[in-house]
Amino acid sequence: MAAISLRDIEKRYDDVVALANCNLDIADREFIVLVGPSGSGKTTLLRIIAGLEQASAGDVYFGDACVNDIDVGDRDIAMVFQNYGLYPHMSVYDNMAFGLRRRKMVAADIDRQVRSTAKMLNIEALLDRRPRQLSGGQRQRVALGRAIVRNPAVFLLDEPLSNLDAHLRVQMRAEILKVHRAVSATAVYVTHDQVEALTMGDRIAVMNDGRIHQVGTPDELYDAPVDRFVASFIGTPTMGFVLCRVNRSVDSVELVADCAHVRLTAAQSAAAQKRTGDDRVILGVRPESLLLMSESDAQQCDVMLRGAVEAVEMLGAEQLVHVVASDGSFSARVPRDRSVTIDEHVWFGTATRDVYLFDEDTGLALRA
Amino acid sequence: MPTTVAQTVGVPRPRTRHIAHGFGSGVRVVAIVVALAWSLAPVYWMLATSFKTELEAAELRPTIWPHAPTLENYRALWNGSLPFVSFFLNSAATSVVTAIFAVMIATPAAYALSRARFRLRRPIGYAILIVRMLPLVVLLAPLYLLLLHAQLLDTRAGLVVGFTTFGLPFAVWMIKSFIDAVPIEVEEAARIDGYPRWQILVKVVAPLMLPGLVTTAAFVFMEAWNNLIFPLALVTTLEKQTLPAALVLTFSGQFKTDWGGMMAAATVTTVPLMIAFFAVQRSMVRGLTSGAIAGA
Repeated sequence: MAAISLRDIEKRYDDVVALANCNLDIADREFIVLVGPSGSGKTTLLRIIAGLEQASAGDVYFGDACVNDIDVGDRDIAMVFQNYGLYPHMSVYDNMAFGLRRRKMVAADIDRQVRSTAKMLNIEALLDRRPRQLSGGQRQRVALGRAIVRNPAVFLLDEPLSNLDAHLRVQMRAEILKVHRAVSATAVYVTHDQVEALTMGDRIAVMNDGRIHQVGTPDELYDAPVDRFVASFIGTPTMGFVLCRVNRSVDSVELVADCAHVRLTAAQSAAAQKRTGDDRVILGVRPESLLLMSESDAQQCDVMLRGAVEAVEMLGAEQLVHVVASDGSFSARVPRDRSVTIDEHVWFGTATRDVYLFDEDTGLALRA
Repeated sequence: MPTTVAQTVGVPRPRTRHIAHGFGSGVRVVAIVVALAWSLAPVYWMLATSFKTELEAAELRPTIWPHAPTLENYRALWNGSLPFVSFFLNSAATSVVTAIFAVMIATPAAYALSRARFRLRRPIGYAILIVRMLPLVVLLAPLYLLLLHAQLLDTRAGLVVGFTTFGLPFAVWMIKSFIDAVPIEVEEAARIDGYPRWQILVKVVAPLMLPGLVTTAAFVFMEAWNNLIFPLALVTTLEKQTLPAALVLTFSGQFKTDWGGMMAAATVTTVPLMIAFFAVQRSMVRGLTSGAIAGA
């Protein structure tokens, strides 16, 4: 039972600012994912929650209690490390029992708890083995088991799946969620993989350069990114961006670029008008919303993009077409049966509600 | 067609390679034999002489191998007039205690140097090594004075202090390199499991580097065992002397040197060193190289 609050967390290493102004409220029993590229500070933030590192400024609360000065071992947390961090000289059983023994539990209770956890994770047969005798997936299970066997209030996971192959990773995602539901602990999960974040998180905090850019449900992040970074980081293939001029006429506002032409809705017009200083905005469009069509059909659409094909990627069910133009680049999903060749000039259309507008200078989303 | 070409071309190739290989290994064998003969010759001479009679050992034209092999020299070590057993026990006791002492003191120091983050970490690390850079003789006078004031001159305890002084820096750096190799996550996991630092050191880190601790202990042991100058200077009573010093002091007299007896004693002196070395030689090489890289 623990809600976690981070208040103005800051972390400096000499002159380097690793984390700045990080605020985050995590509800009790929530599964929250910290996602961002490497160097974004997500692991540092996790280690500050754990108490393995001290924040340079700011407070960490578990429930109502400030835990800044509470030692790692007394925070009632458990952690799964990227490379598992199992005790190499102990059997699987002892790895799991080690933390319980410190808590002066009766041997019979320890035994019962270790065995029931092992059963849940399907590692009963491995209890006598040493970590080095286990496969990567098995070690991962043992690391999970060691973390949950103590019934911690907070469950921290630092890129736990990054050492596994793709197939096992998908399998373990489901496993971790199952474990999380079973233990009813608050979980903080760090990953650089946005697919992992979208599939696992109740909510996701997107981080970059030591700042939290946006916190929200997977749907919110995908549908309403607050800025260009979140928009480009969430979703694969990544969102395309085109720098457009704003053309205002009496009854409408249009975005114009060499490779794009957009008639904005009234609401979007109002949003674009907020930027009165100059007449340029960045248009964002996701590959899955673009439809390949003839030039005449595309001209009819509210949103038209065009350009020469730079590359074509075969994805199995469909192909991904990359277009690079002078004022931006974007990609689109195209059905397999439509053959697309390099350098071919192609037209795409979509509806106005499927595009995003961003401030050219700040990168912030422009919304009505 | 292409396959036949490949085959005809391919056939002689292994043969030439085989010849080249044979030639290379021939040179290698010769080189190894020369190096081996060079370094083992004194050892052989020590062994051979220890089995010779007093007369044969002192001959002006030395015999290559003992013509009338005898164990008399060894028997004389135990039954002779010299307290040889005392020498052996003195050496064993001081060296073993030094090894244990050095490892026990060095481990926490090495742990702090490896894991703790404090401002003077590097300077302190190098300062510990400075003792190592001084020739033994330079340490002798201050050590003598220290032991004099501590009333530890002419005692085994004093010898242990002297040996430890010299063995400790190396032990610290060697153990530090072993601790550096322990993944930090393993320690962090133990911290999260609720263990205090010293228990993590004892229950997690020490077991993981046990081979390293044994290797370090063996190294310190060998150094202490080999040390000649400290016992010569710090111990005056013959009965309290260690083997190397006793060898020098007793077997070469003013008028006559007992070569056979000296070599028998030397052989006995060598055996514990050999045992210590071969027990840990594999991890010792690893420890020395990893230390070299980590300390660079």
